[in-house]
Amino acid sequence: MKSSVKEDAPPLTEEDLAALHAPAVPREPLLRARGVTLQYNTPEYMLTATYRVSFDIGRGDRLVLLGPSGCGKSTLLKAIGGHIHPAEGEILLDGKVITRPGIDRGMVFQEFDQLLPWKTALENIVFAIRNTRRTTKAEAVNEAQVLLKKINLGGFEHSYPHSLSGGMKQRVAIARCLAVHSAIILMDEPFASLDALTRRKMQEDLLALWSESRFTMLFVTHSIEEALILGSRVIILSPRPGRVTAEFDIDITAHNELDNPALIRLRERISRILLGDAPEYSI
Amino acid sequence: MQTPPAQIFPLHPADRGLNSGAPEPLPPAAEKISAARRIFRISPVRKGLLLAVLAIFWQVYAAALGNELVLPTFANTVAAFFRSCMEGELTNNILNSLKILCVAYGMGLVLAGLLTTLAVTTRLGTDLLELCTGMFNLLPAIALLPLALLWFGLGYASIIFVMVHSVIWPLALNIYAGFTGVSPTLRMVGRGYGLSGAGFIFRILVPAALPHILTGLKIGWAFSWRTLIAAELVFGTNSGGGGIGWFIFEKKNQLEIAELFSGLMAIIIIGVLVENLFFKTLENRTIRKWGMKL
Repeated sequence: MKSSVKEDAPPLTEEDLAALHAPAVPREPLLRARGVTLQYNTPEYMLTATYRVSFDIGRGDRLVLLGPSGCGKSTLLKAIGGHIHPAEGEILLDGKVITRPGIDRGMVFQEFDQLLPWKTALENIVFAIRNTRRTTKAEAVNEAQVLLKKINLGGFEHSYPHSLSGGMKQRVAIARCLAVHSAIILMDEPFASLDALTRRKMQEDLLALWSESRFTMLFVTHSIEEALILGSRVIILSPRPGRVTAEFDIDITAHNELDNPALIRLRERISRILLGDAPEYSI
Repeated sequence: MQTPPAQIFPLHPADRGLNSGAPEPLPPAAEKISAARRIFRISPVRKGLLLAVLAIFWQVYAAALGNELVLPTFANTVAAFFRSCMEGELTNNILNSLKILCVAYGMGLVLAGLLTTLAVTTRLGTDLLELCTGMFNLLPAIALLPLALLWFGLGYASIIFVMVHSVIWPLALNIYAGFTGVSPTLRMVGRGYGLSGAGFIFRILVPAALPHILTGLKIGWAFSWRTLIAAELVFGTNSGGGGIGWFIFEKKNQLEIAELFSGLMAIIIIGVLVENLFFKTLENRTIRKWGMKL
C-alpha cells in the first residue's frame, strides 16, 4: 500500500482498487454457492431470506458475509451447515452437494449456550474430537489441552461453561471447531454479544489462530469494521431477500490496521452501499 | 448560550474535611460469631429442634389423653417401630413395597422413554403423546383399581398396573417438555457432529433436558409411592405378599395402634430419605454442578 493519504477523497483510487482486488493466484474454490434461494415459513408468510446468491470460497479464505439484520446471512450459514435446504440452487463443498449437517463444517454461533453445559471446557473439546475422529481418549485429552492453552484458557480445563465469561465461552467454541479439523469453519456473529473490548481482543486472537493454521473461514457479521478487520474477502448482501450487491478482495497483509487509507476509503464505500440499500442501517 | 468550561479542582483529603483531627476508630474487619449463633444458622439444626418440640408435644398430649387405641405416645410408637423392625415384620413389608415400587417405576420409566422417543421422532408420535398425557394425566391412579382388579385379578399385577399409570404420564410429559425445550443451537451442535437417532437423544437431548427429566422423576416417584400405599391398603388383604399399606391395614384390624403409627412413620422416613438423599444428591451432582438448575 503506497497510496498517499487523502482523507477527503472517499472514492477509491485506481491504485487502491488494484491493491484491493489482487487475487494473486486463481484458487480452486472449496465451497461454492450457486444460485441459492432460501425460504422459510412463518405462520402467515413464506419469507425469502436470500435470492439466487452465488459465491465461491477458496481454501484458506477468510470470507465475510456482511449485511444488515434480516438479509439472510445467518440463514445462508445454516444452509451451508446443512440445517436448511435451499429452495433453489445448490451449495457444494469440495464438489459435493451439501444435503445434511456434517463434521466437515464446524459452526460457531452467536449464542453463549452453544457449549454443552454438562461438560467442562476440556470435555466439550474432547467430546467434539471423540465424536468426529478416531482417537484414543488420552490423545483427545492431550490435543484439547494444547488447544485450550492456545486460546489462553490454560487454567480453565475443568470449569463448566456456566462459570466462564461470554468471551471465554466463545473461545472454547472456536477451539472446539478447530479440534474437529473441519474443512471450513462457519461463524455466525460469534462476537456480537461481547463487549467492545473483549470483541476487539477476540478478533485479534482469531486472526492469530488463523495465521497459525490457515483454516478456511466464513464469517457472518453486520459490523463493517469487523468485516474489514477479519476478512480477506467481503461479500455484501442486500436486505431481505438477500442478494450479493458487492464483493471486495482485501489483499492487505496488515489486515487489521484499520487506519490504512485504502481501508478507510473502502469502509466509506461499503457504508454507502449499505446505507443506500437500507436507510435504517446503523453500525 | 455558552456553557462554562468544565473546571477540575484536585481535592486534598484535608480540604474535604476528611481525616482531619483524631482518626476515627475502625471496626474490626472480621468478627467471630459466637458458637451458639453459628450452630443455630444451620437449617437442619433448627428443623431438628422443631421436630423435637413436636415430638415432646405429641408425647405430653398422648400421655394426658391416656388412650393407646386413639393416640399412642411418641415413645410407644418409636418402641413399636424398632420392635417391628427387629422382628422383621415391618422390614419385610417395607422391602416388599420397595420391590414393587422399583419394578413399576422402572417399567414406567422405560415406557415413558419410548413414548417420548416416538414423540420427538415422528409427528404422529407427538400427537399421540400430547393426547394421552392430556387425558390420562387427569385420571387418578386409584380410580383405575377396580378396572385393574377386573383385568389382572388380585395381586401384584394389578398394583403394578396402576403404579405404572401413575408414573408414566407425568414423567413422559416432563421428558417431552425437556426435549422440546432444548435450544436450536445445541441441536445444531449435535447434528454438526453427525449425531442422529439414539446417539443424538442420549448424548444431546437427555443431558440437555435433565432438569425437566429430574422434575418428572421426582413427580413420578411421589405419585407412585402414594399410589402404592393406597393400593396395598385397598386390596392388600388378598394379595398376601403384604407391603407397608397392608401392614397398616392389618395393625388397625389387630388394634395394635402403636404399630399402625410406626407404619406411618416408616412411610414418612422412606419418603424423606428418597427425596432428600437420593434426588438431592442426584441434583447436586448433575444440574446444580452444571448451572442448569431450573
